[in-house]
Amino acid sequence: MDGVENRVGRKTEITKLLANLPRLGVGLAYREPFRDELLQKQSEVDFLEIAADDYLDATPVLEEELELLAEHFTIVPHFMKLSLGSAEGLDEAYLEKVAALVKWLNPPWWSEHIGFTRAGKVTLAHPAPLPFTKDAVAVMKRNIITARRAIPTPLILENVCSQLVWPGTEMDEADFLNEVLGVGGCGLLLDVTNLFANAPSFGGDPAAFLERLPLDRVVQIHFSGGHESKGRFVDSRGQAVPEGVWQLLEQAVAQAPVRSICLERDDNLPPLGEVLWELERARAIGRQHRRWN
Amino acid sequence: MELAQQQKLVARLCTNREFREEFFANPAQVAAREGLTVGAEGLAELHHEHLRQFARLLRTRRLGSVGVALPLTRRVLGNRFVECFKLYALRPPPPGVERVVVDAIGFVDFLCGQVGAEVFDPAWSVSLARYEAARLEAVWLGRRLVVRWLPHRIGPLLVQLAKGKVEAGSFNRPTLAIWWRGTERGRPHHWLV
Repeated sequence: MDGVENRVGRKTEITKLLANLPRLGVGLAYREPFRDELLQKQSEVDFLEIAADDYLDATPVLEEELELLAEHFTIVPHFMKLSLGSAEGLDEAYLEKVAALVKWLNPPWWSEHIGFTRAGKVTLAHPAPLPFTKDAVAVMKRNIITARRAIPTPLILENVCSQLVWPGTEMDEADFLNEVLGVGGCGLLLDVTNLFANAPSFGGDPAAFLERLPLDRVVQIHFSGGHESKGRFVDSRGQAVPEGVWQLLEQAVAQAPVRSICLERDDNLPPLGEVLWELERARAIGRQHRRWN
Repeated sequence: MELAQQQKLVARLCTNREFREEFFANPAQVAAREGLTVGAEGLAELHHEHLRQFARLLRTRRLGSVGVALPLTRRVLGNRFVECFKLYALRPPPPGVERVVVDAIGFVDFLCGQVGAEVFDPAWSVSLARYEAARLEAVWLGRRLVVRWLPHRIGPLLVQLAKGKVEAGSFNRPTLAIWWRGTERGRPHHWLV
């Protein structure tokens, strides 16, 4: 009974901590070709998220670029290659660099993924899913504890995009995400496009899947576009956001105490002006549900 | 510990098509050779098509990042950039590929060395690709001196690309592109001669 009470008490404590995080509004995943236009249109972008792994060991030019951006925007560092799901443990030297960058940026939170990008000598360009097992939950817990000892700034974790399901699974993805966030004491970076793309692997109903997530932990939402290939949606981040993703985004914002929404765009970058309407639409959804003014 | 071994195997399966085909042809033998003593039978049940889809997603992510690192080359080559990247991604990744800029520089080397002139239409796009790759070396990798001899007039091209439209013309006049910094921590100076 004490265990249950402790867990409930801890959950309340974490939810309160997350509720005190600032409401950032609607931002953009920063890509260098956007820089000049961003500086001219600051009022239309509430914050920037950076692909933070690229700024470790930064050259002086990149440090200056970050300083310039930080003068004009709140910066949220988003990591992919710390690899919190690696069973071989965290790379301590890499963690030190991550900690130094987070400390220098002093953001309201930082983010990583519920997956792994490093295994042996291979580094993946995108986080791979973990097996939905107790062993994998234990690996995430151990690595999260190590990371949080090094970095006191709140950590939020993102659900990954993949239809790949390991054999020998002991729970489904929704239960797995609940377990990891529970033992890790972290917020959720909910990628609604990943949910949309993964839908075929969990029965095809992302809205029902969303209902089973710990929505009180959602701090930030990622959304992006993609394209159809061979009858399935590919989260390529290279096109406009499809209507199904907008619907999921609205459902999530209506139900979760979202502090920020971030648009990711990679390939096929248009001029900034051509994506700003997507930020404005997301901002209006947030306003409609009173997440910000 | 077993999970660590399994992750190594899955990471290789996702990034190496030959290894993936070899594994699914004979999972027990390949797993034993890779030192996986337990769980190989389970991994053999990995959905082959899902694994292939994930491998494609990894390639799509690399393509997206490399396209952002080489924005003008991406724009000018359009779909040829995408098709060539698919060929490039079949090869073993260059050392240090975890850094996007290293991947982008490796891709330009591949375009110039393996693919050849037919991809570069208009002809000046070869100079553009080499210019963007050299800039990555100077700015992101912090090289103190980067020098490139380019067969086209890159300066006017950059100006016109920034305006969104390149006027017809050959741009056939060589350019020497130089980035130099006096100290390790200094700011690079850049000249087009």
